[in-house]
Amino acid sequence: MNPKGYKYTREHEWICLEPGNTGKTGLTKYAETQLGDIVFLDLPAPGTEVEQFKKMGEIESVKAVSDFFSPASGKVVEINAKAVDEPKLVNEDPYGVGWLVRLELSKPSELDALMTSEVYDKYVDSLSHES
Amino acid sequence: MHSLRKTPLNRVHHDLKARMGDFAGWELPIWFTSILEEHKAVRSWAGMFDVSDMGRIWVSGKKAGQFLDKVLTRSVRRLEIGSSQLCLLCLEDGGILDDLWVYHVGVDEYLLVWNAGHTERKLGWLFRWSESDPDVTFRNATDDTAMVAVQGSAVCQLGSMRTLCNLPRFGHTRGKIDRFEVLVARTGYTGEDGFEFISSTGDVSPLWAILMNEGVKPCGLGARDVLRLEAGMLLSGQDMDASTNPFEAGLAWLVEFDTRDFVGKTSLLEIRRQGIRRKLIGFKMKGREIARSGYPIFNSGQKVGGVTSGGYSPAVGIGIGLGYVPVELAIIGNEIEILIRDKLVSAQIVNRKFYKKGGAE
Repeated sequence: MNPKGYKYTREHEWICLEPGNTGKTGLTKYAETQLGDIVFLDLPAPGTEVEQFKKMGEIESVKAVSDFFSPASGKVVEINAKAVDEPKLVNEDPYGVGWLVRLELSKPSELDALMTSEVYDKYVDSLSHES
Repeated sequence: MHSLRKTPLNRVHHDLKARMGDFAGWELPIWFTSILEEHKAVRSWAGMFDVSDMGRIWVSGKKAGQFLDKVLTRSVRRLEIGSSQLCLLCLEDGGILDDLWVYHVGVDEYLLVWNAGHTERKLGWLFRWSESDPDVTFRNATDDTAMVAVQGSAVCQLGSMRTLCNLPRFGHTRGKIDRFEVLVARTGYTGEDGFEFISSTGDVSPLWAILMNEGVKPCGLGARDVLRLEAGMLLSGQDMDASTNPFEAGLAWLVEFDTRDFVGKTSLLEIRRQGIRRKLIGFKMKGREIARSGYPIFNSGQKVGGVTSGGYSPAVGIGIGLGYVPVELAIIGNEIEILIRDKLVSAQIVNRKFYKKGGAE
């Protein structure tokens, strides 16, 4: 269910490598379902330097607030203005029009440490069988 | 993990694949499909909530009325049979132990409906003040009944509810929904018209199914919290507790200083004479940030209070909330700042009735 070719973090962010050393990031389907209706996105301004696994934004749903951690180090080159205006796009299409931040990667090799879709599918599966 | 108490509808909620959570020790639905969809269903048509977690305590006997007059902030003397009223259970120092509904069901027969938290403490409080008087008896009916709130602008268009629609606001009666016997009241906690009914534990699942077939949307605690906050209703244990008094909480209308003596009266009279130092306010965010319970409130760089409830309001289209500030700052129109993580964000003090039937303020 999670797109192949994307890489995933334990905190449920995804990154999709693009030509020219940039990567698009967003929230996974699992995270979106856990949060419920998303109503506000607080994303970093373009130009902001971010570090892998460090907080780069906040996602507010009706029920709760959640940190958004960067899947990779680099510089923010673009944020999804459409999703900022209409946060429910993240619920509707988290891997497509609901993407969040585009990064220019400073250490592309960092992505090796992230989960593939196969590993992430199993990870999410293990979480839903807990509790 | 400690085990949570389950309502008679627990199985139904799981079958509907509700997102479940812990509320005051009970496993209850947080949402079924989406908080926003459930909120919309109640505002525009009808939704229902499993409120079986609320305590249901029968108080009866020759001195039941006299006893309730001693422990509650409003007298039941003028409360007619078939009517109910909201009131407070206060401690001797005037602090709020809980808010509750009293139903005057029959001669010397009353039903208290209170919040799920602190049940043992509240029951202990009642026993203590009844002084084991044989003319006052208590029966906790929480476990052998179920309770559902059906709320929404269109409740009277539902076939199953139509015969109940001549009930006045706050009125209650023993009646029937479909073929099932219920005790039903025209009350609620959403700012919309609606009913709350108590049935046997066995009847509640078929009743739920009948209502679902009529298009009533199952709703969870998430929508309930948004709806009550929009209507400016307080949540006991969060917006008020033993450390707050009714005057600070804007609940002076629930305290009747008549000739009778009641628990907390002396302290409450003294608090009223001295005046309050802080007050509950409603606020509306200026930007799109959302303030939540526990966030500090600032004024001119100083921490002056805190948010007790906060969230996104679909009716207002922005973040709203309740909180306490010093009484001199508690003026409608005043600007305050709320610390949202590491940022001070502006909000404006507004009337806490954010929503009134027929549209947002």
